[in-house]
Amino acid sequence: MDVNESGGAPLLQTPTLSAKGLCMAVQESVGRAAAKPMGKPKLGKLARREEREFYLFISLWIIGFIAFDAGPILASFAISFTNWSMMTPPNWTGLQNYQRLIADPLFYTAMWNSLYFGIGSVGLGLIVSFLLALLLNQKVLGISVFRTIFYLPSVVSGIAVAILWIMILHQDFGLINTVLSWFGIKGPGWLVQPQWAKPALILMSLWGAGGSMVIYLAGLQSVPQHLYEAASIDGAGPWMKFWHVTVPMMSPVIFYNLIVGFIASLQGFVLVLIMTNGGPANATLMFGLYIYRVAFQFFQMGYASALAWILLVVIMAITALQFLGAKYWVFYEGEAAR
Amino acid sequence: MATHHEEELAHELKQRGLSRREILQIGARLGLSGAAIATVLAACGQAPQQPGTGAAPTIPPATEPTPASLYDPEEGNSGWPTNAVSDPTERVEISVAHAWDAVFFERQKQFDALFMQRHPNIVVKAENTPFGEYRQKYVAQAAGNALPDIMYCQFSWAQEFIKNGLFRPLDDYIAREKDFNLQDFTPQSLVSYQRDGKLWGIPYDEGPANLYYNKDIFDAAGIPYPDETWDLEKLKEVALKLTQGEGPNKIFGLGELPTLGDSLVAPPYLMPFGAQYLREPKEDECLINKPEAVAALEWWQELRDKGAVPSPADLQNVAWPAFQFGKIAMTLQGSWATPPIRAGAKFNWDIAMWPRGPKAHVTFSAGSAYMITRDSKNPDAAWIYLNEYLSTAGQSYMWGITGRGSPARLSAWPSYLNSKFAPPGAKYVEQAMRTIASHDIIDQPTGPQVTQAAGPIWDLVVAGQLSVKEACDQVFAAVDPIIAVNRA
Repeated sequence: MDVNESGGAPLLQTPTLSAKGLCMAVQESVGRAAAKPMGKPKLGKLARREEREFYLFISLWIIGFIAFDAGPILASFAISFTNWSMMTPPNWTGLQNYQRLIADPLFYTAMWNSLYFGIGSVGLGLIVSFLLALLLNQKVLGISVFRTIFYLPSVVSGIAVAILWIMILHQDFGLINTVLSWFGIKGPGWLVQPQWAKPALILMSLWGAGGSMVIYLAGLQSVPQHLYEAASIDGAGPWMKFWHVTVPMMSPVIFYNLIVGFIASLQGFVLVLIMTNGGPANATLMFGLYIYRVAFQFFQMGYASALAWILLVVIMAITALQFLGAKYWVFYEGEAAR
Repeated sequence: MATHHEEELAHELKQRGLSRREILQIGARLGLSGAAIATVLAACGQAPQQPGTGAAPTIPPATEPTPASLYDPEEGNSGWPTNAVSDPTERVEISVAHAWDAVFFERQKQFDALFMQRHPNIVVKAENTPFGEYRQKYVAQAAGNALPDIMYCQFSWAQEFIKNGLFRPLDDYIAREKDFNLQDFTPQSLVSYQRDGKLWGIPYDEGPANLYYNKDIFDAAGIPYPDETWDLEKLKEVALKLTQGEGPNKIFGLGELPTLGDSLVAPPYLMPFGAQYLREPKEDECLINKPEAVAALEWWQELRDKGAVPSPADLQNVAWPAFQFGKIAMTLQGSWATPPIRAGAKFNWDIAMWPRGPKAHVTFSAGSAYMITRDSKNPDAAWIYLNEYLSTAGQSYMWGITGRGSPARLSAWPSYLNSKFAPPGAKYVEQAMRTIASHDIIDQPTGPQVTQAAGPIWDLVVAGQLSVKEACDQVFAAVDPIIAVNRA
């Protein structure tokens, strides 16, 4: 019988399964584990000791954060309302820096470049690293060797990656254009033509897919086997199992990689500085690089601070949107089915 | 500023015992861009000059380090000036900030040791910072009112620093010294360090740009070497003739063309045609969209259209200066390019004067200086150091005998011309300095914003996506609001 949409039979008792039914069954299975706390339980002696130890260990980070990060963060907020070259005392200018960025075309250029790169690199990275993880989750001989090989690029330092990709993307003798030439295609000047520079950087960002891949791999291995068994019993094929078991169960991991990846890509700086320095024609002028230029080449610390705070607001807004959207596609173990 | 990754790479390469030249060669083989190599070398402790980017003219980049042992510490240890300012009666310490590569810093230590022998009550504490990090470091120190007593300053930062009150005027000290003789300095060398009728720094060098040429390429083509009869039409004609081949073996007639992202562009490329970029010296009006400026840039553009200069993709694969790799017949370089060329070139080369244009015979010159800072706790002791360091004897000791660069004092030039480390055509460097060098370069505090605004627009010309005329109009529109502050 099909799973009853209104609430249904236990998953293991369903001989056949519709897509929607399986999805609900998974949610129900996940939701079963939900145990809503009924107020704060009284802690035992051991628990209290663990709590003390928790605060002891985390205190180092908290002290470090307050001493080295919180002060500069708050100071930058105050500085964003000043005109300060670092060489003379700051002058209070109110909202002038924020008004200035509204009229600054490079602000929009840098923001657009960062969003373009963020969407492109995170989107492509999510798909590629997830597919790689699926591939490397197979039970074949020597799989650990393959996993190591695919992860290796992630441990190569940024500068070396930049050097390597400058060569790979070289217009005349780069690897990509050489391969394209075998098919009679004349490859573009990836890093020297404005319209190709951002796609080139997005392509290059796949180099670090191994890092996300490992997280996906860990997630895949924690998907309960009984869900696949149940799906098999219900007659689900590989695609159905992937779409209705794997993807929902992996959605928190995908969401995590999406959030972290997007924040990191919006803050991208080092590789762009080394590979293109924002060129050609500002095509790769990312927001982080623009802040660096304003701060440490033009020494306009007030404006640079304002830009940095706007970046924070943008990141928070995008992250909030992502969390809002997550309600519709992310399923947490222990969370009741929606 | 070198990033963590760059420092990591630099450390790794140094750990493997590689010289800077080897690092450059590796970078070139790997296709590392000039900017990237510059950053890595900066992280190694030596900052190479990027052509036309306004980096330190006198720090020999991309070069085989000259072993300090080559220099006899006693050679040139004579002729020190007397000081009108008395030595301190108690021991004082002065801090001096430099931006030398590690090897030349050894020569600096030799000077300091001799100085301290002459002035036992003055302890010199030298701070050496890679050029790529120097500016950020000392601006941060300025924010904390913790500047050293004396600091190095490049021409392109000087006006900004002076305007913000980082330095002390030196006129009173100079007036007291009967041997100082300000007239001994080349006029161009002083320009960047004067403001409001005062002198805020003493230059140590001023290097003119000259035409470096590959004699082997000329010989193979049967073309006579450049000489005093050349004009820019001849330069173009020969550059086109010498451009030969395809792919990795292509020979380019000329190494570079003007870009409006370069603060040094006007004297060699625009002024010979009667044009200018900004109205000097105040830089309060943009002149780049005037018909003569557009015509001059279009004249140069023909060389790009005909493939006589390397494209950005070609330059991605070579370290600065690309001339040293033997694929470029001629290049315009400041005198500070000599050490890397001497170290890297496996061909015969020489120097000639930059050719004359239809309206004028001009090349650029640029240099650096040392200043006494506003935070100096011992300005008198700092002056005694500066007076000797930048005297004729001091400039000969540091920059003349070592062949490092064109000294700012005319009286120190003989030591440079007679140095075994000077370039073969050193006499043309001096001749250019005396006759055609112009300091009409972009050096006002607005300079970095001007070049950063114009550079991306010019990228589109280089990519063939914008005409010279359109680019000049766009540069004018972008630059004019920036330099409006100079009109006040």
